[in-house]
Amino acid sequence: MQFNDAIRSSLRGLRQNKIRTTLTMLGIIIGVSSVILIMSIGRSAERYIIDQVQSFGSNLISVNPGAPTKGAPAIAQGIVIKTLVQRDVDSLEREPSIVSVAARVSGQSRFSYGNTSKSVVWHAMPPNVFSMFNIELSRGQYYTEADSQAYNKVIILGQELANDLFGNADPIGRSVRVKDFNFRVVGIMKPKGAGIFSFDESAILPLTVGQKQLLGIDYYQEIHAEIDPVYDASFVKSRITSILRQNHRITDPSKDDFMVASMEEALSIIQNVTSALTVFLSAIAAISLVVGGIGIMNIMLVSVVERTREIGLRKALGATEADILRQFLVESVILTSIGGAIGITAGAFFTIATYFGVTYIAKFAWPLQFPLSAVIIAVTVSVLTGLVFGVYPARQAARKNPIDALRYE
Amino acid sequence: MIELEHLGKVYRENGGELSTVALTDVTFSIQKGEFVAIMGPSGSGKSTLLHILDFLDRPTSGAYRFMGRDTSTLTDIELAHLRNKEMGFVFQAFNLLSRASVHENVELPLMYAPIPQFRRQELVERAVRAVGLEEKIQSPAANLSGGQKQRVAIARALVNDPSIIFADEPTGNLDSKSGGQIMEILQGLNDAGRTIILVTHETYTARYAGRLIALRDGGVERDEPITDRNKGNGLFK
Repeated sequence: MQFNDAIRSSLRGLRQNKIRTTLTMLGIIIGVSSVILIMSIGRSAERYIIDQVQSFGSNLISVNPGAPTKGAPAIAQGIVIKTLVQRDVDSLEREPSIVSVAARVSGQSRFSYGNTSKSVVWHAMPPNVFSMFNIELSRGQYYTEADSQAYNKVIILGQELANDLFGNADPIGRSVRVKDFNFRVVGIMKPKGAGIFSFDESAILPLTVGQKQLLGIDYYQEIHAEIDPVYDASFVKSRITSILRQNHRITDPSKDDFMVASMEEALSIIQNVTSALTVFLSAIAAISLVVGGIGIMNIMLVSVVERTREIGLRKALGATEADILRQFLVESVILTSIGGAIGITAGAFFTIATYFGVTYIAKFAWPLQFPLSAVIIAVTVSVLTGLVFGVYPARQAARKNPIDALRYE
Repeated sequence: MIELEHLGKVYRENGGELSTVALTDVTFSIQKGEFVAIMGPSGSGKSTLLHILDFLDRPTSGAYRFMGRDTSTLTDIELAHLRNKEMGFVFQAFNLLSRASVHENVELPLMYAPIPQFRRQELVERAVRAVGLEEKIQSPAANLSGGQKQRVAIARALVNDPSIIFADEPTGNLDSKSGGQIMEILQGLNDAGRTIILVTHETYTARYAGRLIALRDGGVERDEPITDRNKGNGLFK
């Protein structure tokens, strides 16, 4: 029997039992579309995080106060640690492997304009963070080092915060009340969309003003350092560690009162986590493929019994065991392949639906990813499912005794 | 064309404890172009003999030579190819794929023969024309009458241009008019030079044959020519 005859016979058989064929394929369709959807979401999430980190600057190292712990960092537990000070910033600025250093303090205060007021998270940082964190303005201008030195009450607002406070009015040049001070709005940041490194709903102001006047403290909550690209991140990390140990007079490394982390490291950890999660979820989705495969085997066994006389007839007319085996195998592979193709289409549809949902409803800058590898895996798995779960029924068919088969009622 | 020598068939069950003798010491030969009717009561061994003759079963003793070849030396695959190339089959229950069209049914044996697609169309049309069903060629087999179904089965038996046609009770499920038409077609095929082996229990259909082999209790009871169909011989009374 020629291969195209086997395909033709199989398609005819499947067409004749449309409802059964559809129900049988459903398991494969659900399995394949889930695998595609999960792999696409996994890839999108990974891409999203990488984009976010890269837009923030992947060549950054951050120093946080508190001993390195396996649990939550000290600041997250509400513990105030005052060990990061200007001396540390000065020392790091002298380190040749570091291009620039920026200290940061943050707080949460009520911002008011006219009758509108809102609780806002603000960050006080020197002007070099604008290039360090790729912060771009849609309107107005950045504040300068001179503003910081002069304790000028100037502020840059996130796009959404500006909309919330000022509505349709132009915020530039207007004053926002923060605690007992009036801050003049000098710039509005370009929106970045919702995300882990988004400033859309927060404000940035000069370091000195935030540290000395809003918080009244003389330490920093974090120091950011931009690596000279000539150097390796782990080398710079070790340099920073030794400089800070020297400044803090630490001789025993287990007594460090600071933590140094590079974005690169964070990125690779996040990538590992998302990859592992994707593999894990895909494996769960693959279980439905196995269930679908068992469904295929079940239906093929029923089909073999139902078509006993046909098998007998074909053998009488000259079909060999190999011919019968091939015909039933082709049928189950066609069944799973069509199921796979529909599953891929459904998976693509749900991936696009997810993209629109996350982009336009949740307003995340979600990248649309449809990995080719997912399609290749889906096609391979579909065909293999048909082959593996079709072999047993096909062998049952091929081994039928033609005389008994012809007499079968 | 067919030579049987002391052919026997014993069915063994329960690991050989129980045995049933289906055929014993069957010896005859059939020449090319003969029309042979095999008759006999139930249990006489007709079906067993037919299945051995058409290679669906093998004898347990004796020899069977088909076109000069000892069939005991042939593999199952060789027998399947021989069946496809040299034999045509007409069954009592028609054995058509009911949801497939007449064309698809008639094409079935060609699927197992090395015949290119473009030749098949021509062969199928010729076979369907030979049984006078060209107008029904695209109809599903299920929509045909019993007589038409059996004509489709004959077209299917003819399509590979076999040298021998086995007809197993071909009129058993038909009314006498349709049965007569089927027998006329078989007669025509025999007149054109094809060997026909007809298994039947109806004396009416056996009259079309030129030779009668009567079986009883697994052996050949009589083997004689049918010289005068209208008068018949002992079996036709």
